[in-house]
Amino acid sequence: MAKLSRRNLLKRSSLIALAPTVPGFLTRLARAVEAKADDRVLVVVQLDGGNDGINTVVPYRDEGYSKHRQRLRLPTERLCKLDEDVALHPSMQSVADLFHKQRLAIVQGVGYPNPNRSHDVSMAIWHTARFDRAEHKSIGWLGRALDQLPSPLGAPGAMLVGGGVLPTAVLGRRAVAGNFSRLDELAVQNVSARSAATGDGSDGELEAFVRRATLDTYTTADAVAAATARERGKATYPANPLAQYLSMVARLIEAELPTRVYYVVQSGYDTHATQIDTHARLLSELSGALAAFVNDLADAKLAERVLVMTFSEFGRRVEENASAGTDHGTVGPMFLAGGGVRGGMFGETPRLLDLDAGDLKMSLDFRRVYAAVLRDWLNLNPESVLAGNFEPLNVLSGAQS
Amino acid sequence: MRDDSLATAWAPYEPTGSAPWTLARVAHLHRRAGFAAAWHVLQRDLRDGPDAAIARILGGEVIAETTPRDFESLARTIGDAAVGSDNPARLKAWWVYRMLATPDPLGERLTLMWHNHFATSNRKVQNPALMYAQNELFRRRARGSFSDLLLSVVKHPAMLLWLDAESNRKGHPNENLARELMELFTLGVGHYTEDDVKEAARALTGWTVKNREFREAAAYHDDAEKTILGQRGSWRGDDLVAILMDEPATAMRLARRVCELLMGEGLIEDHAIAELADGLRQRKLDVGWAVEKVLRSAAFFADRNIGNRVQAPAEYIVGAVRALEIVEPPPSTMGLAEWMGAMGQDLFEPPNVFGWAGGRSWINSRSLIARGNFAQRLADGSLQSAAGRADWRVLAERRGCGNDAHDFGRFLGQTVWAGQSDEEVTRVKQTVLGEDTTLSPDNARRLVAAMLGSPRAQLG
Repeated sequence: MAKLSRRNLLKRSSLIALAPTVPGFLTRLARAVEAKADDRVLVVVQLDGGNDGINTVVPYRDEGYSKHRQRLRLPTERLCKLDEDVALHPSMQSVADLFHKQRLAIVQGVGYPNPNRSHDVSMAIWHTARFDRAEHKSIGWLGRALDQLPSPLGAPGAMLVGGGVLPTAVLGRRAVAGNFSRLDELAVQNVSARSAATGDGSDGELEAFVRRATLDTYTTADAVAAATARERGKATYPANPLAQYLSMVARLIEAELPTRVYYVVQSGYDTHATQIDTHARLLSELSGALAAFVNDLADAKLAERVLVMTFSEFGRRVEENASAGTDHGTVGPMFLAGGGVRGGMFGETPRLLDLDAGDLKMSLDFRRVYAAVLRDWLNLNPESVLAGNFEPLNVLSGAQS
Repeated sequence: MRDDSLATAWAPYEPTGSAPWTLARVAHLHRRAGFAAAWHVLQRDLRDGPDAAIARILGGEVIAETTPRDFESLARTIGDAAVGSDNPARLKAWWVYRMLATPDPLGERLTLMWHNHFATSNRKVQNPALMYAQNELFRRRARGSFSDLLLSVVKHPAMLLWLDAESNRKGHPNENLARELMELFTLGVGHYTEDDVKEAARALTGWTVKNREFREAAAYHDDAEKTILGQRGSWRGDDLVAILMDEPATAMRLARRVCELLMGEGLIEDHAIAELADGLRQRKLDVGWAVEKVLRSAAFFADRNIGNRVQAPAEYIVGAVRALEIVEPPPSTMGLAEWMGAMGQDLFEPPNVFGWAGGRSWINSRSLIARGNFAQRLADGSLQSAAGRADWRVLAERRGCGNDAHDFGRFLGQTVWAGQSDEEVTRVKQTVLGEDTTLSPDNARRLVAAMLGSPRAQLG
């Protein structure tokens, strides 16, 4: 079935036959669509609260695991084995499947020097790639990146999908970030205006511009509605908020919105007490959502254009606490999937008996992962964004035009 | 107060054969310098002539149907309550109330202009009380000397917090305030060097906020000599501002801002800006003078300056509500503020230090859908009540449009469209209602939705 691209829909639309002003705009639009070499998209999934990496990517053969985790120890036979050293949490079978198909990269032991255990401060460090508190409120790493890229026409450079405050990560100096909460924000309700939208060619130049943009908007809205109906018919996404947000992201990418960065947040990982069930539920939602998203993109032939990355502001302490939970820790894992990702394990598996005052030791600075995304996915020089030289992790298969 | 002896770019408007005083020109005045106007106001200004009409815009006037008797104290009560609630949405609603009901719409347009020029976002400041105070600064000093306005804004805690002034200390510089002061608030890009920014940052060290008030902390101030724009001295913050006020580039940037407020696309010419800048420099950067100069000009009232730019969401929304006399019951101001946000203009939350780019950038998929859907809701009456059964025949009768769909369509064209166009009205009416000419409630709602949601209604 032909890809539901805006171009295809425009070709089939009867509006073209009626509107003398449309074809010229279309030709320019078609040329613009073809000419775009850099239509790569980054999707960031933020796990809010500090995800317990040890029970996510489990070093099940490490003696330290059963030593430090009694009530929180996950039985080996229930884990989703990845290799001889690590396995995924039982809830994450779908993600394990992606790993086995070489479509997922897992980066272990990711952190930064002098770890900070405050949610706000550590998250701000991840958002800005800066350690000075004075630099934590204005501009983020993705904002800096977008400031260096041409502004997309007619859409924000970055979008937070789902409610909430725009994360500092996407704030730039010139770049514009926006919110998107519901697909019906793109639902056309003014039927009367739509019926009269095709002019008679008598417009002045500015009015003609607005008219063409209006007609194009109806086409985009129709494309999103059609893609949504198609997706609902297949029901590939589980019914959790994260999955719904990622489904929206897929629809927006499919509808060829020129936004470059999508940001979604999954909350609830600050598991200080009775962690087992909460964490299992969260990881089940994450796994289902991530797998559905990656498979959906592959189905829509968008996989090559979209890179997904997950992170959390810190991991948790190795030793469980007295409330069957864990307190704030240091390093944790990141997942990457989609465009150009080299499947496999990266970084070093944390050693649970070789700790730093009870915490895991860092194996990899997060800025090396950012550097890989900036250089090898967005084709930018990472240094100005990261205020330093960090060797890009070899997790992406290089710049492709 | 006419300066006819000055250069010709801003020669005053005189109603003549080629530029007569028409309804379209009256409506243009209200759309550009205010938030549109109701039918009877347009008719009155048409009758009374340009001098009277312009005087009312410049000086403000109480319009019985929309301005409450004790507007200022009412507005203050709403504002105080909004601040007290600490809810940013209520602060936005307060400003929308002011736009709807003020006797001085030009004052609110200028406040919006300054909000854009000194773009400060509550997303970072996180303090509705400070944002409210900053907004009142814009309003109170909107038309005075730019130097007074700039000094008070740049020393106000909202701005200092927004641009990290307190992080800027002797030996530990933060250039944010210095850079934006030069690039955005005064000179503009290309009129200073990076060294100027560094030195300016040093001059600004010590400016800080304590207990939500401006303080000059001598201990943080770098009092050594600095060279800024070729001038050497132990400059402090006030000295820096004085130096910037004297620069010709500042007057030029100010003149350009005034032109951007009142002139449309393709009509903001360098020589005209230069003349306006000269006049500003001779008058200690008196913004009110520049606004009046442009507003009274033939260039402002020229046909080619009518309908030649995209209305910002605030203009489009408030203009529609005022033009179509949606007063009883009044629309939810919080709802209107949300519509502005949906169209890309979230009050008190500009996207970044550059403010809103404006112009054609207001036009994109989501904002266009929001504009169309807003028009639908307004037409239904659901801005005013959940039940939403607007009967536009009441308005049609009050304003003498008879009970003919075509006449009502023309009335809409004159109130919510810029410029005259009977053919386009006919075409829209024909497309939406076919041959039916009865002004049934349903037909009226469809016409309002179609006319207000049309491409032409986005222009102002």
